[in-house]
Order: sequence, then structure tokens, then C-alpha cells
Amino acid sequence: MARRTKRIRVTVNGERYEKEVSPSKSLLDFLRMDLNLTGTKEGCGEGECGACSIIMNGKLVDSCLILTVEADGQKIQTIEGISRHDRLHPLQKAFAEKGAAQCGYCTPGMIMAAKYLLDHNPSPTAEQVLKAIAGNLCRCTGYGSIVDAVLSAAKER
Amino acid sequence: MKVVGQGLPRVEILEKVTGESVFGADVRLAAPILIGKILGSPHAHARIKSIDARKAERLPGVKAVVTAQDLPPVKYGRFVRDEEYFAHKKVRLVGDKIAAVAAIDEETAEEAIKLIKVEYEVLPHFTDGVEAMREGAALIHEEYDQYQALSMVEGRKGNICYHKQTVQGDTNRGFQEAERIFEHSFYAPMVHQTYIEPHAVLARVDASGKATVWVPTQAQFFIRASIAEIFQLPLIKVRVIPTEIGGGFGGKMLPTIEPAAVALARKSGMAVQIVMSRAEDFQVANPRTPCHLRYKTGVKLDGTIMAREVELVFGTGAYCGNGLVICQRAEMLASGPYRIPNVKIDLFCAYTNHANCGPYRAPSGPQISFASESQIDIIARELNLDPVEMRLKNAIEEGDTTPACGGPLKSVHAKETLLKAAEAAGWKERRREKNRGRGIALGYWLVGGMASSAGVKLNEDGTATVMTGVIDLSGTVTSLGQIVAEVLGVELDDVHVRTADSDFAPHSTISAGSQALRSMGSATKWAAEEVKKQIMEVAADKLEAEVSDLVVEGKRVYVKGSPERGLSLGQVGQLSLTHKRGPIVSIQSVSIFPNQPAISAHVTDVEVNPETGAVKVLRYVAAQDVGTAINPLSVMGQVQGAVIQGLGQALTEECIFQNGRMINPTFLDYKIFSSLDAPRVEVHLVEHAAEDGPFGAKGIGEPSIIPVPAAVANAVYDAVGVRISDLPLTAEKILMAIQEKNKSG
Repeated sequence: MARRTKRIRVTVNGERYEKEVSPSKSLLDFLRMDLNLTGTKEGCGEGECGACSIIMNGKLVDSCLILTVEADGQKIQTIEGISRHDRLHPLQKAFAEKGAAQCGYCTPGMIMAAKYLLDHNPSPTAEQVLKAIAGNLCRCTGYGSIVDAVLSAAKER
Repeated sequence: MKVVGQGLPRVEILEKVTGESVFGADVRLAAPILIGKILGSPHAHARIKSIDARKAERLPGVKAVVTAQDLPPVKYGRFVRDEEYFAHKKVRLVGDKIAAVAAIDEETAEEAIKLIKVEYEVLPHFTDGVEAMREGAALIHEEYDQYQALSMVEGRKGNICYHKQTVQGDTNRGFQEAERIFEHSFYAPMVHQTYIEPHAVLARVDASGKATVWVPTQAQFFIRASIAEIFQLPLIKVRVIPTEIGGGFGGKMLPTIEPAAVALARKSGMAVQIVMSRAEDFQVANPRTPCHLRYKTGVKLDGTIMAREVELVFGTGAYCGNGLVICQRAEMLASGPYRIPNVKIDLFCAYTNHANCGPYRAPSGPQISFASESQIDIIARELNLDPVEMRLKNAIEEGDTTPACGGPLKSVHAKETLLKAAEAAGWKERRREKNRGRGIALGYWLVGGMASSAGVKLNEDGTATVMTGVIDLSGTVTSLGQIVAEVLGVELDDVHVRTADSDFAPHSTISAGSQALRSMGSATKWAAEEVKKQIMEVAADKLEAEVSDLVVEGKRVYVKGSPERGLSLGQVGQLSLTHKRGPIVSIQSVSIFPNQPAISAHVTDVEVNPETGAVKVLRYVAAQDVGTAINPLSVMGQVQGAVIQGLGQALTEECIFQNGRMINPTFLDYKIFSSLDAPRVEVHLVEHAAEDGPFGAKGIGEPSIIPVPAAVANAVYDAVGVRISDLPLTAEKILMAIQEKNKSG
């Protein structure tokens, strides 16, 4: 079936892409299906769980709530783009060491939310960390180890 | 011990923090993948008059439509064979599967679903177990007495799919001997596991007819068996490849969308992926069984419990499913971790028109503890006893039994765990403040074990590989690696361990019941010990020494007292290839284990806002009896996570139904705890190596969720003097109770 598509240009993790996309496709689906960047997860598709959190033009967003066409011309960073070669981001290292990832499904979104925090507030308090990740649900850890990891990564940086 | 007992990061952690891990919806193939969707019933209970899928089949882009006609006419069910995969005569819940379609994209699949026309005759429905059990209630399964069922499924009648009475002693005599008798009723509604990863599956059927299924499951061998049964295939024609699993908590064991994906793949000849939406997952996946609980307890004035009668009614859902697992657990846990001479337990499992309830982290545990421990609190207050003292007086000790526990209990540390929590919380030194309260509750759980096998092989460079099919939920796989490293005298980095699929792994137990580590860890430890023996045998020949004189340690094997007379494990690995015994490898099996108690004791401080009824958890102290903590980082994480989940069940979570449809199937309306709601959990481990289990480990995945609702309810009473007997303890209920109390007060 012929469906209307729109050509977009987008920079994801430093790579430039030009693609034909359906106007109804979410940015999350575009990342996962068209670019095969499956690190960003879908937990609800309604902007309630934060598993799909990414950074777009310096803002933390739920990629499930954004249409791909809205990302035209934008710069996007996902979990795949925050470690360089084999060097982990301090948050990734701290999440590993502090037991801040159990099942790991919320982890990519959680790390992106934490990165957004540290990008704007390099030495947050525990209270500020709790606020920064309030839009990211985790069902495994109870959040304490995540706060520890973010505080530890902030010190490391 | 060098490696066991270390809080090491999980072996798969780097994949997880980098986003590399492949979860259910992340599997990609070289061949194109169709998108599958399921048509579920809009009615909770209805007769199907006709199904017409012709229009859907003709829609361009649709590659397959399947209904009951495409499957063998098989009735299945672990305890009662009461379920058919696709409904064709009747639907018994909103979302009961009628058909599935596979199309080139999601939009087409959704359009095709809408084109399937089904005519229904709507029937009366029940979402409450007690209502469904009433005399004369419309039958959810008219032909229930023709179903095949296991002989243990007692008391099937009408909408009751299981009724069992368990008696210990004589409760009539016990109540006569008691000086006070207390009777209370409680209710715990359906709650959902809400793993953040919804159910997802990818299936392909190859030219030989073999089905391969990629799925995040807690029970790969059970899923394999279920698919084989539904399609009438030998087990070797089904391969289950477990993906990384984004949380399960008991909800990812029964087959849900997997058979539909296989049916569509078979019919279309292409790979098919199905991913549940969050709303579908809430509506049809396997939530915690709602439960009505009645407790009658007779005590002496000094607090000694003389008799306890318990009646539990579980609404199991439209099919029996794993309903009996919950009942069997409840039978063991219902009277609590107490020494009670006279106990009678009546368990009812009723068919109801909602999702098939399944195990959820400590099945029946939190419901039972909520009722039992709320009542113990009420009794202690009535008798002017300290709640800790009352529990100490009755708590089980070494060699005691509780109903259906399977014999005298060993490795019992109930009193120590209780005292540890009380002491850590400063139970005795508290200061009273207005609207603030403190509550204590015990959790009772028994960890057993199930048939399991695992293998260990020594590689030619001295590293070791573990062959296991166990699913990793709580860090089990890492702990298996630590066990092998400990036995072979190497580091965790020298051991490779990941979950293998059903074609290649020896049979592994399900990751549920807090017994995976106990079962799999034992099999793995025995295999590692056998590998160690083989290492010594090969080394003894080369070193011209007696096996009994050899030591395996520090990645080497050497003669006791002369470390220079030795070989590296790498040398042994190489030698084994030319040695008469051949490559070094062992697979070992274990069977059933006796039950051991894993007791939780929790103390919480809360503040209740008298204007709104809202509860704020100020402090949470959890003591947990764990046997040996193989990996304390994992163990602490399990306790913390379980407590926060339990707080949701205590305060905010409830599946709400209207006309059989869950009306709050979103994270906005079904409120799980966010970072802003969650207190810090102070964890205190009670560590005594248990009599069996690898290095004395018990189980840890479940027990710490059990006492949470009761601890909170007891703290709320302590704060504002109102007793809420139905979960969750919402602000609304508490406020209304406060107003009621003030009116009458």
C-alpha cells in the first residue's frame, strides 16, 4: 500500500542520517526499527515510564511522544552514543558497580535522565537526583542504588 | 571463601549499561519480520455466535490470520485442562484471544484486527471470587466436570476450581482453651507485576517444521513444553531462546502471546513479532490473585496462640492456570511463622472473569501477611502486649512444623530476624509524635528446590564455562559463576556463564519461588566439584603424585606443601586432551529439596496527613534471613526492590475493573512507586549458612515483599488509630476512616 512519507535529516550520536519516514512514526520506532538502535526501550508508549528517554538538542525527552518528522534537523543522543569506543561514561561505570541495574530494561533511559542532570548540575544532591529521575520508572531496584550510582558518577567526573 | 560472599557486579552488566542487551522486542533477523496482533474479546463473559475473518484476510499487507481452526483441538492447563488457546465457543475474560493477524506493519495489522467480525451473546460475569462461588451463579465453565485434572485438584464444583481443607490439631479444642478469640476479614485486590518490559516474542518456523521462539521468559522449558503441547509437537521441534528479560516477578511464566506468534509464523512462512501494549499487558497478563481472607485466632491472655482458622478465597481468573501454585503456597503460609497447635485452613480457588492470575513475587505471601500480621497487631494491642514480644512468644524455632511445610523445619532464624529488625529500628527507644506511627510485621516464606541440572567445563586455557538454562532475574547467573570460581580456585572473570537456550542447556528449573539459586547453584556446585576432581586426576598423573595430596587454588593445582610442584589450570586443560580421560567436563543433576523458612521482619515509620489521609513513609528497616549471601550486592538489591514494590501494593496499586475491563491500565492510573515516593530501605541481613543449598544459601527473590503491606497498615494504625482492612491503604480510605472515628469518637 502506498503511504505518504516525508524525507528527514537527523543527527544521531554524531552520525548524520537522511531517511524517508511515515509521518505517524514515533521517534522511538524510528530509532529502534529504522536505525536499529535498540538500546532505547519502550515500556508504555505513552510517556509515563521514561524507558525511551533520549536527549534531543540538549533536552531530555520521551522519544515515544515525539514524531520522527519533528526530529527533522535535530541532534539526538541515545544510550549508544554516550560511551566512546570502549570507554564507558562514568554513569555507566557507576551503575554497574553500585548494582543500579538489575533487569536493565529501564537502565538506558535512566542513564540518559541522569546524564541530562549531570550535564546541567555536575554535583547534585541526593534530593536533586531523585527529582531528576522521577519520570523514569524502575521496578527492580527501589531507586536507592540508582541515586548512589549517580552521586558516585558525579564525583568521578 | 574468596569469591562467594563478594558483592561483585553482575556478569552481564556492561551489556545492560551500554544498551547492548537484547530484550524481547530487540531481536532482529536477516529475514523480514511481520508484526502480529491479537484480537481479544471486548466482553468478560460471552458466547461466540460467529467469527468472520474473511475481510481481514483480504486486506493488502496481511500475510496470515489465525483462529482456533488453525490449531489442533487441544485443551491444556498445568492442573486442570480447561483452556484452549483461541476461544471459539465462549470468551471468559476481556482480552480472551479469538484470532491473530500478521501483517507487513503495525498499522496494517491493527486495521486487519478491526475487520474481523465476531458476534457475541453476552453472559453475566464475575470479577470477584466470592460472588462467582455463590449458589446459582452462572457457570464460567459449564463443562467443568468433563475436564481432565490432576488428582490433587480437590473439590472442583461449579465455579470453584479447587477447594482444600487442611487441619492440624483440633481448632475447636484450641478455641475452648483460648481466653480471647478474634475474628477479622481482609481483602487484597489484584495487583500487577508491571515489569517495565511488556511481554514480547519473535517466532519463526523453518522448513522442517521446527519452531524457534525468542522470548523473555522466566521458564524457558515450561514455555517450550506449552508450545509443544498446543501444537502437538515433540519437544525437539520447539526451540525457546530466552532473551534478556526486563523484569518478570512471576508474570512471565505462562504462555501468553508465544503460541499466536508460532501459529502466525507457521501460516505465513515468515518470522512474526508480537509485542503487547502496556494496556494489553495489564489486561491479560498474569497478575497477582485477588484474595478475601478471614482469620479467627484464639489466644491466652499472655499472647500464646492456641488456635487459628483461616479461610482464603482466591479469584483465579478465567482459567485455572497456575492458580493451584498460589493455593499450595497459601496452604503453607496461611497460619504464619508461628508455632500453633491447632490450625484449620480452607482454601478456595474460584473461576472469575478476568485475567488468569499467576504467580507474582511470593504468591499469596503479601495478602496473607497483610491479614495475619494485621490481626496479630490487633491482638497484641487488645492484650496490652508489645507487638514484638507477642511475636517472639509464638515464633517458630528449629524443628517446628507449620501446615504442609513438609516436615520439621531446619535453619530457622525467625526470632533472631525479628530482634534484628526491632533493634535496628530502635523499637524500644521511640518517641511518640502526633500523626506518626510505627509498625512491625513478619513475613513467612519457605524456600524449596526443584529438579535442575547444570554443567561445567574446563577450557584448554584454564578458564571455565558454565552450561545452564536458568533465567537470570535476580543475579542468579552471576552467583553461579561465583560458586564455580570458588570451587575451582579462580576469579569470577575466569568463568563464563550466560543462559543457554532450550536446545543446548540441560534442564533448568524455573526462575521463580526463590529456589533457582538453591537448585541450580547446587547442581552447578556439584558439577564444579566433579570438574575439580577431574583436574586433580589429570594433574596427579603428570605430577606423579597422589590425588589426595593435591591442592587446587589460585588458578593452579599443586602438591600440598610444595607449591612449585604444580600445573596451571591451563596446562591441565591442555593435558586433558591427550590424557586417557579426555576433556574435563561434568553435568550434574539435583532433585527436590526440603523447605526452609526465609523469614523477613520489617519495621516502618510513617506519617499520616490528618487532612488528606495521605501516608508518607519516613523510614523503612528490613531484616532478612538469607542463609549465606553468595553475592551481597544482588541480595541487598533484591530486598530493597521488593520493599519498594511492596509499598506500592500497600499504598497505591490496584487493578480496578468495570464490566470486567480493567479501567486503569496505564502507569498514570495504576500508580507504582517513583523515585519521589520511595524511601531509603535499610537492609539488615541475618546470615547463617543453611543446612543445604550451595554454600548454605537460601532464596532471596521473593520473601522481602511479604510483610510490607502489614507493616504499613500497622504503622498507620499506630499513627492515627484507624485500621484499614482492604488494600491498598489509599489516602481516601484513611481519611474516611479518620472522619468516621472522629464522628463516633
